[in-house]
Amino acid sequence: MHKVCSRLHGPALFGKTDLWNSLDACMKFHNGGGVLCQKSAVKHPPPVLPQIPPFDFKPEPYQGMSKDRLLDIRKHNCNPMIMKVTYYKKPVFINHGYMQWLWDVDGRRYLDLFAGIVTVSVGHCNPKVTEMAEKQLRRLWHTTSIYVNPQMQEYAEKLASLLPDPLKVVYFTNSGSEANDLAVLMARLHTGNFDVITLRGSYHGGSPQAIGLTSNTKYKYPIPSSMGCHNTMCPDVFRGLWGGSHCRDSPVQTIRECSCSPGHCQANDMYIRELKEMFATTVPDRIAAFFTEPIQGNSGAVQFPKNYLKDTYQLVREKGGICIADEVQTGFGRTGSHFWGFQGHNVLPDMVTMAKGIANGFPMGAVVTTAEIASSLAKGVHFNTFGGNPLACAVASSVLDTIKEDKMQENSADVGTYLLTELAKLRDKYEIIGDVRGKGLQIGVEMVKDKVSRDPLPSEAMAEIFEDTKDMGVLIGKGGLYGQVGEGYLKVHVLSGSSLLCA
Amino acid sequence: MDGFNMPILFQHCKSSIPPCDFKPEPYQVRGLYLRVTYYKKPVFINQGYMQWLWDVDGRRYLDLFAGVATVSVGHCNPKVTETAEKQLRRLWHTTAIYVYPQMQEYAEKLASLLPDPLKVVYFTNSGSEANDLAVLMARLYTGNFDVITLRGSYHGGSPQATGLTSNADYKYPIPSSMGCHNTMCPDVFRGLWGGSHCRDSPVQTIRECSCSPGTNTHTHTHTHILSKSICFFLFSGHCQANDMYIRELNEMFATTVPSRIAAFFAEPIQGVGGAVQFPKNYLKDTYQLVREKGGICIADEVQTGFGRTGSHFWGFQGHNVFPDMVTMAKGIANGFPMGAVVTTAEIARSFGKGVHFNTFGGNPLACAVASSVLDTIKEDKMQENSAEVGTYLLTELAKLRDKYEIIGDVRGKGLQIGVEMVKDKASRDPLPPEAMAEIFEDTKDMGVLIGKGGLYGQTFRIKPPMCITKNDADFFLAVFNQAVQNYMERR
Repeated sequence: MHKVCSRLHGPALFGKTDLWNSLDACMKFHNGGGVLCQKSAVKHPPPVLPQIPPFDFKPEPYQGMSKDRLLDIRKHNCNPMIMKVTYYKKPVFINHGYMQWLWDVDGRRYLDLFAGIVTVSVGHCNPKVTEMAEKQLRRLWHTTSIYVNPQMQEYAEKLASLLPDPLKVVYFTNSGSEANDLAVLMARLHTGNFDVITLRGSYHGGSPQAIGLTSNTKYKYPIPSSMGCHNTMCPDVFRGLWGGSHCRDSPVQTIRECSCSPGHCQANDMYIRELKEMFATTVPDRIAAFFTEPIQGNSGAVQFPKNYLKDTYQLVREKGGICIADEVQTGFGRTGSHFWGFQGHNVLPDMVTMAKGIANGFPMGAVVTTAEIASSLAKGVHFNTFGGNPLACAVASSVLDTIKEDKMQENSADVGTYLLTELAKLRDKYEIIGDVRGKGLQIGVEMVKDKVSRDPLPSEAMAEIFEDTKDMGVLIGKGGLYGQVGEGYLKVHVLSGSSLLCA
Repeated sequence: MDGFNMPILFQHCKSSIPPCDFKPEPYQVRGLYLRVTYYKKPVFINQGYMQWLWDVDGRRYLDLFAGVATVSVGHCNPKVTETAEKQLRRLWHTTAIYVYPQMQEYAEKLASLLPDPLKVVYFTNSGSEANDLAVLMARLYTGNFDVITLRGSYHGGSPQATGLTSNADYKYPIPSSMGCHNTMCPDVFRGLWGGSHCRDSPVQTIRECSCSPGTNTHTHTHTHILSKSICFFLFSGHCQANDMYIRELNEMFATTVPSRIAAFFAEPIQGVGGAVQFPKNYLKDTYQLVREKGGICIADEVQTGFGRTGSHFWGFQGHNVFPDMVTMAKGIANGFPMGAVVTTAEIARSFGKGVHFNTFGGNPLACAVASSVLDTIKEDKMQENSAEVGTYLLTELAKLRDKYEIIGDVRGKGLQIGVEMVKDKASRDPLPPEAMAEIFEDTKDMGVLIGKGGLYGQTFRIKPPMCITKNDADFFLAVFNQAVQNYMERR
């Protein structure tokens, strides 16, 4: 009986257009016991499904192609890669978005906790940002930088003001991959060296160059590439060889134990030792750069020992290399405590790359570096047609204003810390939740077969939980080298009242 | 207040800027960073509308460069702007992990404009990203590695695309460009060989040849049996220049690359290279040779696509060839950052060997805008307009070429036009950059924005939004004539 009720799709049920409200009504009816619910037919009492928080917004009714037709075109006219990356057994067909909510073509509402992969930083169709975009659409979209347009300069100044000296020179691109490509180019030109080091499990983009930096087999192709790119052991204090009970800069630590005294981290020492071994073997004694995400994104919010980056940066600089922080996911206040992820590690990179949330989903990326390093680009001419266009800059500028005015960084710290601590309780409750980690609204929940072995929960099990979560109204993400990490990237807006999760 | 109607300008230019009903927003001065880009006195742009740009002082310019051939249907085109605004209030971004209708709707619409079997679309955010992907797919599909492009080509600024690009300006002294090779550019004006009816253009070069005009009866078999030691002689109905350039390509095949290659990449009309055009059958012959070596043929339509060449929607169609893959960007969404690769299902399948993800690629905003651009091109007959106004411009510019010694070549098709400047017509040496800069600045000061290109910066590029009129063209012709004259008088 419960199964039937929870699968009803009729949006007009009980006169309510919001499926989840109609589900509530259905449940109430059910509990009331009437004809539909005969105790003898019910073996287990149905679980009380959580209620999606109410939200007063009417999405546009969907009047486009049918789902079947959409899937047909998707399979025949959209590159086969698209079907590979489409989530869920029964994909979600999105029609409309507003702030932290998405509506599918049937009018069903979802809480979007993945933000189009950490990209919709201030909310779908955020009204302030939308208004700025509309203004700019009527003014100027594009000229390239052969002419001066004020939006680029205004935004460059605003962005640079949020970075510490001497990180004051900005170059705009259209994506994180393009930004990382440029970062590698500048690093090699500036240092005169060639080799670049990243952490295993990292993801830095999909361009041929960025695939070299990325350390995840899934994304690699069997053709010659990645020259001069090397990986060192990922200092993953949960799954890695070493880890303990106070390694991470996070409200939640791992379930592992250690005898480290405060201020000392044995795991860190071991991982640094691994890095040194790489320095003694794999790379020449002069390198170009070390690239890292302050909290790994694609691999599932993996965090490092608190001093790992500090120690690494020093070693890399001794070898002539520059240090690059990939803030594509951690930037713009998401980690809560600071605007940039690297600040939480108490380091000062030589270069910062960013994209995704920079313009709330408008295609944009950027590299910020020192004047000295940037001048190396003058050895040739580099041109990016769309980079720094007036539309992107106007939108990005408005995003910065919105983050500030609506105190979204503070909200990330607040709601993020709450979420992390509550998720930690669920971890303690269930054997298959192995690790809860992250900071602010960059959160990962790593699933395991059991807490002792810490072996990844198999993908079929992950898919079930993932699908069920979606069917109950919440969209999250998946990551990890074995797809074993459920990632939640919350929209930065205060949730009103109700609990998200089953008690 | 329209700066160009000031009386003082009538001393220098008899023509006045065509009228325009649109009132730009006044510019509110705040802090400004000065960045030197084009021009000694850079242009500070405040607003745009269709083929017009206003600077921060309220001065109006006729934009004949369209942000480098990108603003295809006009700055802030109202139809496209309206669609963008609608979509801004609906959905900006989710990535392809969910299905949203805009991507499929646009993919279908775009694919319908390409011949079978070019029906599978992958969206990116730029031309460089599209070309990166094209090389990746070519190598995966063929199992080969080497890619060939033409000298003088420009295919983007990413590390991979820099390898394809054949222009020293854009190259950096670090290891890159593995497996990328160049063949001689079949530039019938500046190159070793050229004549008087090589090009698919209303205007031919000033060079002479004894090739017979009309239908070119040159067949593939001739080049097939050609070996590097045989000198190819003229036959009636042939393009001798074409044969010589194909011979150069064959020489490369015999020396520089292995016998199995991955791809041949070409812009149907070179963009950054200055609207350089090839002999009519060059691509046809090249495509065949490349395929014999296991390679696929890729047409870079980043500048020539979307009706710009006038006679066809895509530049490759004007060459009567059939590429295996087409890349596009720039004008695809009137300036909204977007790119795409279209190829066959068979080639696209090779991609499945790994996972490739593009966060912003194919986002609802871009797709909605691009879809509206296609509608606009069709409804407002912009391709036809490109043919008409473009041909008019080309034929009038050819008269200026005949008038002035320093205008060496006028070429192109539709609204993809190049005017190559020389010291003199006999030597065809490039006009020096200082002279170019003067004429360029003067043209801007008189109210017209054009572009510059060519390996030596010696070619003016005219690639306007496709909505310009004959009236606008006349204004430009008058301004350009004046600018060249001014330079000649000063010299």
